[in-house]
Amino acid sequence: MALLCCELVLLPILGCTEHLVAPKPPLAPSLFRPLEADLQRSYLDLFRISPELHYTSEQINQVHDYLKHVEDYCVAQYKKKADEYQSRLEQEQGSLKKQNVSLSGAKRHDTHCEIQNLRALKSQTEVIAQHAIPVAYDNREAKLDLIEQWPGQLRQVRQEIADGSYRNRRWGDVQDIGFRQIESGQEDDIKDGEEAIKQMKQSGLMPKAVESPEIVDYVTRVAERIAARSDLHVPLHVTVLNSKEINAFALPGGFLFVNRGLLEAADDESELAGVMAHETGHVVARHSHQLMTRSTIAQLIYQTAQVAGAVLTGGAASIGVYYALQYGFYGLGLALDLRLLGVSRDYELQADQLGVQFTWNAGYDPTGFIRFFDKMATQEGYVNGVSWFYDHPPFYERMVDAEREIMFLPPKTNVVVQTPEFQQMKTVLNKVRAKADEEERQRPSLLAPEQGCPAPQKAEYDSDKPIETLCSVPNNLKTASK
Amino acid sequence: MLSTQQSQDRIKVIVVTTALALAAAVFYWTALDAAPANGRQLSLYVTVEKDGDLVTGLRDANFRLYEDERSRSFHLDQPESPASIALLLEYGPNYGLFHSDLDALMQGFMDKAPDGNWYGLATFSHDLAVDVDFTKERARLSQAYAQLGPPGWNESDTFDAVYSMLDKMSRLPGRRVLIVAGSGIDTFSGHTLDDVEKKLESANVIVYTIGLGSMLRGEYEPYLGQDARITLLQAEAFLKMLATDSGGEAWLPNLEGAYPDVINGIMQDLASQYRIVYDSQAPADGKLHKVKVEAFQVVNDKRSDFKVRVRNGWRF
Repeated sequence: MALLCCELVLLPILGCTEHLVAPKPPLAPSLFRPLEADLQRSYLDLFRISPELHYTSEQINQVHDYLKHVEDYCVAQYKKKADEYQSRLEQEQGSLKKQNVSLSGAKRHDTHCEIQNLRALKSQTEVIAQHAIPVAYDNREAKLDLIEQWPGQLRQVRQEIADGSYRNRRWGDVQDIGFRQIESGQEDDIKDGEEAIKQMKQSGLMPKAVESPEIVDYVTRVAERIAARSDLHVPLHVTVLNSKEINAFALPGGFLFVNRGLLEAADDESELAGVMAHETGHVVARHSHQLMTRSTIAQLIYQTAQVAGAVLTGGAASIGVYYALQYGFYGLGLALDLRLLGVSRDYELQADQLGVQFTWNAGYDPTGFIRFFDKMATQEGYVNGVSWFYDHPPFYERMVDAEREIMFLPPKTNVVVQTPEFQQMKTVLNKVRAKADEEERQRPSLLAPEQGCPAPQKAEYDSDKPIETLCSVPNNLKTASK
Repeated sequence: MLSTQQSQDRIKVIVVTTALALAAAVFYWTALDAAPANGRQLSLYVTVEKDGDLVTGLRDANFRLYEDERSRSFHLDQPESPASIALLLEYGPNYGLFHSDLDALMQGFMDKAPDGNWYGLATFSHDLAVDVDFTKERARLSQAYAQLGPPGWNESDTFDAVYSMLDKMSRLPGRRVLIVAGSGIDTFSGHTLDDVEKKLESANVIVYTIGLGSMLRGEYEPYLGQDARITLLQAEAFLKMLATDSGGEAWLPNLEGAYPDVINGIMQDLASQYRIVYDSQAPADGKLHKVKVEAFQVVNDKRSDFKVRVRNGWRF
């Protein structure tokens, strides 16, 4: 009874979190190793080779359980570490406060250095626990699902293509892109979009625009190429924002915003086109308008209150502020979680589908979207700034749906992957980035580092290495299970 | 008796000596004004008012600057840009009493603060927390404010928080502005009022203070007991001191609805300030060296003086 009490109630409070994730015996290396190697592959590779892989359901299930367990274990370890740093930080700050007046210069300096170091470690450890580990394991799980389920899905896709039933899928009339009606009344959203932009600018939600005409012209050209071969029936307005966050977002009525960070993260034009087409899909499907009709004003105010406390409640009932919240906070990765309204998942999948269609119709390689997604999830997913993933339905579902859609599209030859214009844009972008970096270096700081301290320690995580190296879990568990 | 010749010689000596002494004095004062004894060039931000309205468009000739009661040469320059503006909010045990004031203030901040400056947010109860380091994206501040959890401590260590912010900001380059929104009440600080005052005098930071608890000054004021009134008065005196000594302004609204206007007022104040650049001659002796600025206009040979808000002085 006492043990039960401890496990259910007391352990989390007393910080015995590692007991909540009891170590499990490690998987047999013969089972885990081949799968581990396959889980490092790209989505596109896995789509190609998974029909040739022959793992049993039992093997897959064991690895699923194992990954879940390892993730929990790893997160708990890092949460515990973060708590320890927090506790040491409080101790140092308490001692600083207590002795403040009497502390000698040298001792004060040492304490400042220690506080600085602990702050850095705590912050890094929290990012690892809250972002790096969950995103990396979500990605692993998605790839495991793909290995298990894609061969079956592939058979079904081939069957649908063979019997022609694929044409009956939602928005399967891709030969009529530009002439079909995805959602009527796009033009009614223009005023709302303009109002949203006004509100966002007024509230400081909109980062400064990139002023380089070369970059703006290039991005506009790509966006217009997509728009011209999409179901967008309103004029497109493109703005490149000088924000390092990897993100793009669309406001209702055809207002597309692309962050500098997205341009930096894209490796070729088809990747950039894939993301911009996804955002165009949101506008075309009028998701903003549907959000309005699905939710009552009261719900919106409740949402707003949750997001912004009472800060913005004064104007929450106005459409402009509402859009500013929905798209501004959401798109910019600040606060609002549309999943609370239960609509994000469907809308993201719809925008994915339309985005793939528009990219294909514009003559781009539609797999660019999958490559970009994979890269972000695998290499950048741990970064706080990647807000594009805040709204994701499960990776597996998005990747498989995108691949299915690509397979249903009539094949095209000579699709565009890379262009010289993209590479020229990148050269100019380097200068814009250098200027922004310089401004960042000039940025004043309330957390200015104490001069003369040793460089703050780094939490032991190298983002280039697989997440499995982070906790060295198999070995730890092996030891623990003995 | 001295001969006539001797008398004349003596007079000559006296005249020459006096002339030399005068020349030396003139040279000394001129030299003192022209080159700083300690090489400390300072930017002094001043606000000029007439009948409560901000006065802009004045030139060098409309000002006089005195340091330790001695005239100093100076020139007007463009204000340093971007300015570093930090919001320091009391977020402690009294939060329940004035959260609507803070909400209104943040709303005003979102609406009225101009783009282009660096903005930061810090909150305090027992400890100071830097919630948002300087950024040009104002929205980060309102987001961080919205996500503040319940106040963690049952203390309002205002002196410590202000001291610490002044210390942090004194190391920053350029124009530094601290906006303190709080009750002004201090419960358990390690630093004393004297510490804060000295820090204020040594840091070139303009402080604007906004008294929270509008209900106490407004609706509840008639029902306050003697002790509560004294506490409130002491707290308000502290807020006024911070503003007056640093060249800022103290705002003590009686109504919640006034907070956005207060932020607007502060932003207008900042937009209208003059930057006086001069070389300070004050020695680094740890004492307060008074500063005085006069602003005036001469119309029809008649000088009319404006009201000037400027920091009290410097302590090096």
